[in-house]
Amino acid sequence: MADIVGVNGQREEFKVVGKHNLPGKVSYALATGVAKFGADYVIPNMLHAKFLRSPYANAYVRSVDLSKAQALPGVVDIVTWEDEAIKALKPAMFGPVRPWLDNYADQEGIEVAVIVVAESEEICDEALRLLEIDWEILPHVVDIRKGKEDNAPIIRPEDKIFGGGMFSAPPAKPRQGNVTYAETVQGDVDTAMAEAENVLEYELMLPAFSSHLPNPPGSVAWWQPNPYLGEGQILHFEGAVQRREQIGMMHGMTPDRTVQEGIFQGGKYCDWGMRRSQEITPLLAKRTGRPVRCVNTREDTFDFLMNQRYMYMKIGFTNEGLITAIDDFSVADGGIEGSSSFGAANDQGYGPYYTMKCLNIRQWMEIVDSNRGKMYLSGQHCPFNWDSGTMAIYLVAEKLGKDPIDIAQLNLHGPDSQEDDRPVPSFEACLDAGRKLMNWNHHPAGMKKMPDGRYHGASFRYQICPRHAFSGYNCKLELRNGVVHMPTQGPVTGIFAVECNAMVVAEELGLTYDDVVVDFDYREPFTPVGGGSDGSTASAWAMKECANLLKKQILEWAIEDAENPPPAGFGGPPPGGPSPLKGYKPEDLDMIDGRVVLKNDHSVGLPLHQATNRHIIATYHGRPPAAIWSLGMGKMLDTMNTAYCEVAVDPDTGEVEVLRFGVVADPGKVLRPTSLESQIDQVMFFSQGCQLLEDFVYDERTGVRLNNNMIDYKKPTMLDVAPVERQFLETRAGNAAYGASGISHSLANTHMVVIAIHNAIGVWVDPPATPDKILKALGKA
Amino acid sequence: MFTQESTQATASKLIQAVPSALDEFRCPACSQVFATYDELRRHFDTVHPATIAPVTVALNLNGKNCEVLVEPHWTLKRTLQFRLGLTGAKHMCDKGVCGSCTVIVDGRAVLACTTLVLECEGKQIQTVEGIAADPKWKPLVDAYCKWDAMQCGYCTPGFLVSAKALLDKNPNPTEQECREALAGNICICGTYPRHSTAIVEAALKIAEGG
Ligand code: FES
Ligand code: FES
Repeated sequence: MADIVGVNGQREEFKVVGKHNLPGKVSYALATGVAKFGADYVIPNMLHAKFLRSPYANAYVRSVDLSKAQALPGVVDIVTWEDEAIKALKPAMFGPVRPWLDNYADQEGIEVAVIVVAESEEICDEALRLLEIDWEILPHVVDIRKGKEDNAPIIRPEDKIFGGGMFSAPPAKPRQGNVTYAETVQGDVDTAMAEAENVLEYELMLPAFSSHLPNPPGSVAWWQPNPYLGEGQILHFEGAVQRREQIGMMHGMTPDRTVQEGIFQGGKYCDWGMRRSQEITPLLAKRTGRPVRCVNTREDTFDFLMNQRYMYMKIGFTNEGLITAIDDFSVADGGIEGSSSFGAANDQGYGPYYTMKCLNIRQWMEIVDSNRGKMYLSGQHCPFNWDSGTMAIYLVAEKLGKDPIDIAQLNLHGPDSQEDDRPVPSFEACLDAGRKLMNWNHHPAGMKKMPDGRYHGASFRYQICPRHAFSGYNCKLELRNGVVHMPTQGPVTGIFAVECNAMVVAEELGLTYDDVVVDFDYREPFTPVGGGSDGSTASAWAMKECANLLKKQILEWAIEDAENPPPAGFGGPPPGGPSPLKGYKPEDLDMIDGRVVLKNDHSVGLPLHQATNRHIIATYHGRPPAAIWSLGMGKMLDTMNTAYCEVAVDPDTGEVEVLRFGVVADPGKVLRPTSLESQIDQVMFFSQGCQLLEDFVYDERTGVRLNNNMIDYKKPTMLDVAPVERQFLETRAGNAAYGASGISHSLANTHMVVIAIHNAIGVWVDPPATPDKILKALGKA
Repeated sequence: MFTQESTQATASKLIQAVPSALDEFRCPACSQVFATYDELRRHFDTVHPATIAPVTVALNLNGKNCEVLVEPHWTLKRTLQFRLGLTGAKHMCDKGVCGSCTVIVDGRAVLACTTLVLECEGKQIQTVEGIAADPKWKPLVDAYCKWDAMQCGYCTPGFLVSAKALLDKNPNPTEQECREALAGNICICGTYPRHSTAIVEAALKIAEGG
């Protein structure tokens, strides 16, 4: 689509946008430890709160005797699910659709029934131990395939829907037992399959993957007399950046009476759900009259970024490799109440096949309620099943003795529709560069040994660069004392979206990046997120409009001040006589290199702060024109990315070494290259982790998750990660600022490394491909 | 706005704000406040006889002598946050595996979440705030910011402390030496490739005199 309707969308010369190594606007605070996250806040006279957490995977608290806990010195308050104040709570956002806290626990370790407030965390723990609880323990399901069996215990039989939150999908047929059904069908799959020249079948298992927030979620709240608003109190709250207003509302407070000054959100990988520890402290602080802190432990913080999923695929294709039928059956973990239907039914809409010409596609999904874990919204790995298509391409190529890249090209539909046969320019450009970057020379599975005796394997995948389609942005810019300010509430999550916006403002106003002052203020509406990584580029599109509205006003005031200068001492003309802009019109002027100058003679002009010292405000509300991707329901293509992986597999030890990742991506236009590179590194790191190391282990007997700590749940370290070689192309074909698109999470993958392993040894190994599994696959263990 | 100058000044202020001596003694079991440690001990003996009494510990923190009142099982991490107002050492794993709470004690990088504060009595402790406040290390902080060796930034202070501990011992590290020295720090945002670039560049700048 390209940025045709936006101001200067077709700009050709860039002085700021695209520049490397411009420090983030808050980087110094982060690097030096000056930045405070929710868990860091310590308020004088503060109390601590802890939830009772269920030791059982599926259980009711039938009754609880609080008397011993209440008698413990240092215990200040105990609240239970039966308290009216708790019953009245409604989750701030994306939370459970059940009561906010009740007496039912559908996961081991989940908050249930009781909250203790005490002088210290140890006293909370001791009080929780002193509770005399009558548990009714129910049978549990932590294996989703067992959960769908007829005799499986029914989890939450009262549930009417699955996938609470905003992305619920209608069921395909009535729920049965634990299973809810979802189906999407295009074309006539059975006939196409019957007529196919070749058919292949394969299975995938996607392990659950931890969302693993770096900073444990939690909050501190306290109430203060209101110095400005007369009657009543204000709620001061830290630890739920971006959710200030919603949490204030949970506790009956209007936005103007809810203060949250912290801006540092920590890592949030498309996980926008609030934890109960982030929502409860205002109530506890009100009840106790003291500040209250409630922060999850690391063990409490192992929510899912990706639910477990089993897939069985059947693919029909021609002798050339054109895929003509796709039958996709999957069993997905419904998680617990409040889990998102991303990772389940919502993936069907975002499906993995919308880039393919194939017109006969059936996706049948059985979503099984379980007692495993919670996924708050979606993850860096959303939509999760994209690699089922990547595997189809690889397997078709393998079967026909062809190169998977050729098969991908054959199957990719054209720019405008599934029936469009033309190549997609962005894809072709990515492939050309990718082949060179990787020295691509495909070999059949198990056919290449390296000089050291290890097997060599390589893989390839592609995806769209998702474009922003949904959110609008409330932008504001101010000229104050000759300096341009960009007020924003942030958040600061590490995606450097604020910085992208500041760069665009600088570009449009002829300033340097350092000239644009970012004012972080929790009351400001501008927040450059939405729609995923594409929020950076989409908000920057809206901010570009705003910058040009500000520019127009600056130029008008520069002329006004040149014609009618205020008296000396009140911003009057600079020493040296009348303004050189006198006698011109606003349309004669431009802003270049920090000055307001004549368009046709840049030597004539004034530094911005001398041209006008008015206080000028520009606002803009809007969003880029909807992407063709969204208009076409995923059936049109503009900006694409490709990724590659090379591995070496040691047949004696089963050890896999990722030799390198390669990424050639076309984000349309690169706004901030340093962080874009870093985000590519991040998704490859995520992908390597989930394919080689990470998985949750449950004790089937008790339903207890065994590895909810960072010793037993392994993340790759600096010595584990493979080099990531990246190359960016700029076709300017996206719909956001200057033709940019979002990119990073579409590169996250669940099977690219595993496919390279198959290419090395000729056998499938389900992720995580640990050495024991490799040896077993090779018949050596 | 957070600039190098403003964050260096904030770090210095935080260090200045660490109290050198205790002026009140708060009971950890009931929050009652006493003027002297002896009074607090008597209160403990009579009101909380079954609980282990808090103790005072003398520390040298970022070059400044200070005294804290803690319970004997408290870690250095907890003491820094809840007694001394320094939150640069972060809580991520709380089990000694992620390096987010790294500080330097007597010249060695240690994990504050698994170090008892009582073990630190009489030792020289340097936190990220101490590094940030010292102009000598400005090139390291600059390089971290220039290279985006951070995304969410939660793990970053721990990495920066490990990097400083490396440069103390090896002022001219190779990229591989950087990776080995930082292998105990986990970044969930996956910023790993950035750190060695930043450290090697900073080392050159420091060698040139900043
Ligand atoms: S928090 Fe100390 S090592 Fe992880
Ligand atoms: S920058 Fe987020 S954990 Fe390292």
